[in-house]
Amino acid sequence: MTTTRKKTQKSDFHPLLRIMVYLIVGIFTILTLYPLYWLAISSLKTTTEFQLNMIGWPQNPTFRNYPSAWRLANFNTLFLNSLFFTIISTGAIIFLSLMAGFAFAKIPSKFTWLLHGSFVIGILLTLQSIMVPLFLMVNSVGLYNTRLGVLIPYIGMGLPMAIYLCTEFIKSIPDSVVESARIDGASYLRIFLAIVVPMAKPVAITLAILNVAGVWNEFMLINILVSSDALRTLPVGILKFSGPLASDYGRQFAALMIGMIPMVVFYLIFRKQITEGVSAGAVKG
Amino acid sequence: MKKAAFWTEERRAYLILVLPAVIIYWAVMAFPTIFSFILSLTNYNGGPVFGNPDIKIVGFTHYVKMFNDKYFWISLKNNGLIMAVSLFGQIPLGFLFAYVLHRKLIKFGDFFQTIIYLPAVISTIVIGRLWQSFFSPYGPFTEFMRRFNPTWENELFFDPNLAILPVLFVILWMYTGTYLIIFLANLQKIDPALIEAARIDGATEWQVLTKITLPALSGVIVTTAILAISGSLKSFDLLFAMTGGNPARRTSVLALYMYDNAFRGAPKYPLANAISVFMVLLSLVLIVLVRITESRFGGREE
Repeated sequence: MTTTRKKTQKSDFHPLLRIMVYLIVGIFTILTLYPLYWLAISSLKTTTEFQLNMIGWPQNPTFRNYPSAWRLANFNTLFLNSLFFTIISTGAIIFLSLMAGFAFAKIPSKFTWLLHGSFVIGILLTLQSIMVPLFLMVNSVGLYNTRLGVLIPYIGMGLPMAIYLCTEFIKSIPDSVVESARIDGASYLRIFLAIVVPMAKPVAITLAILNVAGVWNEFMLINILVSSDALRTLPVGILKFSGPLASDYGRQFAALMIGMIPMVVFYLIFRKQITEGVSAGAVKG
Repeated sequence: MKKAAFWTEERRAYLILVLPAVIIYWAVMAFPTIFSFILSLTNYNGGPVFGNPDIKIVGFTHYVKMFNDKYFWISLKNNGLIMAVSLFGQIPLGFLFAYVLHRKLIKFGDFFQTIIYLPAVISTIVIGRLWQSFFSPYGPFTEFMRRFNPTWENELFFDPNLAILPVLFVILWMYTGTYLIIFLANLQKIDPALIEAARIDGATEWQVLTKITLPALSGVIVTTAILAISGSLKSFDLLFAMTGGNPARRTSVLALYMYDNAFRGAPKYPLANAISVFMVLLSLVLIVLVRITESRFGGREE
């Protein structure tokens, strides 16, 4: 039966149309693979060689650019800072939004519509539009150029989507689970820790995936909230090569590769979860 | 006594669970939004905010200044172009790819899906620098063009009228995969029996698409439109890394225009705050517009 269905599909999907579809999909694929390939081979050329041979295979492939770019941009610090901000803020977002999501979903209160509603509005609020007031605020409370002054905004920006997803997820846990624990005399906080948190693993994974990618790649806020080299993350460090060092092609391309590889590996490992997370995140606002 | 009765276990638990998230979120997102509106009406330009005797209310003068600034209009126009690319480029292409993959009309669907979504996970800064190099006079794009026309001069990033084109291209390239994934996930939710039955009744592929698939996805299309609109106002990182808004600030967008006024040269915080308020209002208005269209259009569909 499946075969007949496929046959009918094929018959009225015009071959010319099929060729066009292949063409468009193929162009898109090449447009992704070729620049990455070009970047990879260019990072193996010295700047002198690159100026003579911009698109060809390197004559003397060398990894020399990598250690030199690593030292110049201080990638040790950049990686540690990126890891620090990503892990702490992702963990905090997951835990805080499970807490609030549980309360919104299972504890009756007349404030829920207002509080939960304010988070839902936040999903649509673009962080870009408030970057200057946020900077002024962080500055006026004395958190400029501190780790806390980055972490709090990172947690705050992740919360709206996370709380929306957590509330929806915890709502789907049957009320009877909570009620029977209540009858047995368990407090709400105990129910949260002993029952809800262990059950919330799927939504926690979705949130971890969404936020790890979001925070790891975040540039705009950390660029304005931090000025010292000791607190910078990967995206800020990589931009170092765009200014006076822009014509130091070899090292610049090596730095771009170093910045790109972790996320590509992360994506190839968690492809399925990322895809699911993105479609779960695209909820009706 | 009365107080003890008010603070039931239920209420205490609710507060303990909800407050941390609410405080952080309101401090980071809600408060700055209100804060910027108030500051945009004053002459505040740095220094302490609270208890500063020099802060005066100046009314809407900064808004007037903003509307008279030609760079404001250039930035707004570029945001509009990005929005157009999202709505009429990313969404239809994303849908096309999703549809083709879902109906298995081409082979290696999984591979294509992986590659088309790949740009969305890479840091926008890396993407911006990579494409800037790619399109620059020393990049492959110039080489290719010279194959066809050896005297071709690469003016892409120097000609104020052309500089936005590479940016728009990269935006199309970067985010089409996101819409592909959203549409694909929702196509998979449609009951295959419905399509099967229509096919047995002799419906063509085109009829299945227009009579079953598209109506079933009308809600998702609205969601993607909202994503595209708010997404286009988010443009910042890519332009920052790729063009810096240049040449002659012709590739600026509202977020970059605000950044420039606050952080490049002498700070103009009041103007930046006015831009911030304008952006918040603009995104709200646009989303409400989409919602109104949805309720009219959606009503007819059902």
